[in-house]
Amino acid sequence: MAPKKKEEPKEAPKPKAPEPEPVKIPEFNPAEVVLEFTPEQIEDFKDAFQLFDRTPLSEMKITYGQCGDLIRALGQNPTNAEIMYVLGKPKPEEMATKMLDFDSFLPIHQYICKAKDRGTYEDFVEGLRVFDKLGDGTVMGAELRHVLASLGEKMKEDEVEQLMTNQEDANGCINYEAFVKHIMAS
Amino acid sequence: MGCGFAKSDQAQLKQLNRGTSIVPAATAMRAALLIQRWYRQYVARLEMRRRCTWNIFQSIEYAGEQDQIKLYNFFGYLMDHFTPASSERNLISHIFREHDIGRDVEWESYKSIEVPELYSGPHLSFPMTFSNAAELVEAFKNKQQLHSRYVLQLLVESWRRLRILPNISQISTCHSKEITICGDLHGHLEDLLLVFYKNGLPSSERPYVFNGDYVDRGKDSLEILLILFSFLLVYPNDVHLNRGNHEDHIVNLRYGFTKEVLGKYKLHGKKILKLLQKIFSWLPLATVIDHKVLVLHGGISDTTDLHLLSRVDRHKYVSALRPPKSKKQMRSGLIGSDLEDNDPTYEFVGSSRRRVRSLTHTTYTVTRHEAPRRSLQVQTTRVTYSVEEELKKRRRQAGLSQSYRDLHNSTMNSDLDSDPDSGGELLDSNEDEWKQIVDLLWSDPMPQDGCIPNDVRGGGCYWGPNVTEEVLRRHNLTLLIRSHECKQEGYEFCHNRKVLTIFSASNYYEVGSNRGAYIRMGPDLVPHFIQYQANRSTRELTLRQSVGQTERSALKALREKLFAHKSELVSAFQVYDPEHKGRISLGNWASAMEAVLKLGLPWRMLRSQLVGETVDGMLDYQLWFRELSITEHKTELSNANLLETMYKNHSNLETIFRIIDTDNSGLISLEEFRQTWKLLSTHLQTDISDKAISDLAVSIDFNKDGSIDINEFMEAFRLVGGDLLQHEDDVH
Repeated sequence: MAPKKKEEPKEAPKPKAPEPEPVKIPEFNPAEVVLEFTPEQIEDFKDAFQLFDRTPLSEMKITYGQCGDLIRALGQNPTNAEIMYVLGKPKPEEMATKMLDFDSFLPIHQYICKAKDRGTYEDFVEGLRVFDKLGDGTVMGAELRHVLASLGEKMKEDEVEQLMTNQEDANGCINYEAFVKHIMAS
Repeated sequence: MGCGFAKSDQAQLKQLNRGTSIVPAATAMRAALLIQRWYRQYVARLEMRRRCTWNIFQSIEYAGEQDQIKLYNFFGYLMDHFTPASSERNLISHIFREHDIGRDVEWESYKSIEVPELYSGPHLSFPMTFSNAAELVEAFKNKQQLHSRYVLQLLVESWRRLRILPNISQISTCHSKEITICGDLHGHLEDLLLVFYKNGLPSSERPYVFNGDYVDRGKDSLEILLILFSFLLVYPNDVHLNRGNHEDHIVNLRYGFTKEVLGKYKLHGKKILKLLQKIFSWLPLATVIDHKVLVLHGGISDTTDLHLLSRVDRHKYVSALRPPKSKKQMRSGLIGSDLEDNDPTYEFVGSSRRRVRSLTHTTYTVTRHEAPRRSLQVQTTRVTYSVEEELKKRRRQAGLSQSYRDLHNSTMNSDLDSDPDSGGELLDSNEDEWKQIVDLLWSDPMPQDGCIPNDVRGGGCYWGPNVTEEVLRRHNLTLLIRSHECKQEGYEFCHNRKVLTIFSASNYYEVGSNRGAYIRMGPDLVPHFIQYQANRSTRELTLRQSVGQTERSALKALREKLFAHKSELVSAFQVYDPEHKGRISLGNWASAMEAVLKLGLPWRMLRSQLVGETVDGMLDYQLWFRELSITEHKTELSNANLLETMYKNHSNLETIFRIIDTDNSGLISLEEFRQTWKLLSTHLQTDISDKAISDLAVSIDFNKDGSIDINEFMEAFRLVGGDLLQHEDDVH
């Protein structure tokens, strides 16, 4: 679209462009997702889906809020932002009320499964190495807690506690390779 | 999708930059996001495993309860149909015989029991004082045992107290008193002690309501009862005890309380049990707080009527599993000379025209959730088959929301044998009462509207939110507090926060499986929860460790079940493998498992822990069974089928043994064993030859003295199971 001067009132008003964003990301369109799951996998997903289904009549529906947990329970590790994206950016109050049926869940799950930067063991270790000031294979527990609670998709205090239980040694240091193995092993 | 930085992230980055200067902000952000993503996945997967594990425990538990009831119904059926001469009848009449427990004089006999000088446990004096009761708590904390004389004396006094209480206690929170409400304790003394520690002992300033299920499963059921009864005696107006479905001597036979008492009190155990039988029937049925909050053990049904319940003679219902007796229907001389006509506790429906009824009056497939794997089928006895078919049809026609009352009525109507005129009315009102009480003790809430029989447990019903609304409205109440179901957090709301489940036995299924909780409630009638977990070490477990431990336990229990059903499973697999190649697909495996075990479990999700290797999505089931199979029993049993059947039914067997071991010696004769086995095989509709049973009996008589040691026999099963699974654990 050719740029037009904004002052001309006769022009059909176009939406003001927001402050420059790196990329204009299109809305998630489930119809565009090609399902590549095998029938076996789909049966497995159904079982898990049923486990989460809390509807009165077992309608094979889960709430939007449960979707992220289900995807994670099935072995993916999306960020919360990614979950919100595939759900079509629902409002906070919709998370508990809006329902998702199994057929709508599949493209969402497929999309997440195909996502590229899942993060391998090496990525993870590299990510933690960033905090290894002394280069000795350990990071300060306190610093890690602070980072997890204040950056990114912040974790709550009790979640951080849960994660870090029994990981720190007497000096409050964490051997991060062991830590990563611990997290990835669940 | 990459990690796009939104505005809020940029603010965070600025914040970080102000703090540590060394780490490049963007890198730190990426690292944080990565860790957080993985953490959330970790938590979600643990939650999934926890749910599965929970499902396993719960379905096995409820299936066991159902089993118990079926067994009991079977005996009832046999009693209905036996002719006087049969020797097996004597055996069964044992089971139904309830000796006269009416007269006080007999109970005073405890006075003749001497307490020896050597006894170092607590001495009780009556009337009991607070310090006496507190002393008792301390003594039990220190693992002392109360002398049987004091036990009996305490129980007699408690009985005296309980029988003057109304069916439904009315209490109030006036004087700004906060009331404490506790749920199931199930013999977990450490939980009761923990509650007292956190909340204080009962007193007039600290009133308590205990909501049933004090006994069974845990190992200190008797101590819990003694403590609760002591405080009842000391503070009669401030301690309220509701009856639970486990305050029932029939249930106790299976779930451990009977065994506990007989083990702890070898000389007077039977007497103690008999007295408790009576006491249980005198426990009040419910408590109402400020006319607004109803507290009872199990739940309600659409016919629950508190006015009716407050008028029944509750002590008539010694066991909720027995239908009430109607004198008119009794056929004299059927049972034998030990029938006491004036003994109100001998409840037995004598007329041969009446069919044996399960507690729920129906036996058909009920789907609590529409998903097929949840459906459970209750077996019928052959006699009632045609009627059940008709009920099934009606039910399908009527739809799921048909109320229990309708079904009950259709049962009555379609009983082709019954004579509607002979004493029908009397029986009806007894039936009504009985149903009210069973519903109160055994029911569970369900998410959908309606009221359907509780086929999972085999007693009571499932009731929905609309029933809650109606019953609360009908009685002008605002909240129903109940127990009966184990909850992860110790408590759980449902039905729009009108129903509250409170469960006070922590680590119920396994160490770390759940917390316990109790409620504190003041005049505002708003419940406040205090949660806890007994056993210090569980608190130090990480989430994964406690999930892992509970999971291992559940899987062990599940594997035992699999082994017990091996033949049936192999047959089911072979349906999908007609050419007997020994392999089936995972999908078929899952269907077969559910069809045989009927536990409503998510088999596909459990597959990885139960099955192991598959090739091309196909499972070699023979190999699987070999891996699963348990090491040989120490006696050489040529009949593998028999072993399997025995293993599968060892709980039932044990129950029966304990019944027939009337002198509590732990021994039963070979003849009794043979009879028991024959009975059981009729119940199970399996075909086991007399010779096989005789051989078995002889082989189990290890020391060849003509009698079988029950404990030794039962130990054999535990040992066998333990061996294999120990090995498996080591391997992992």
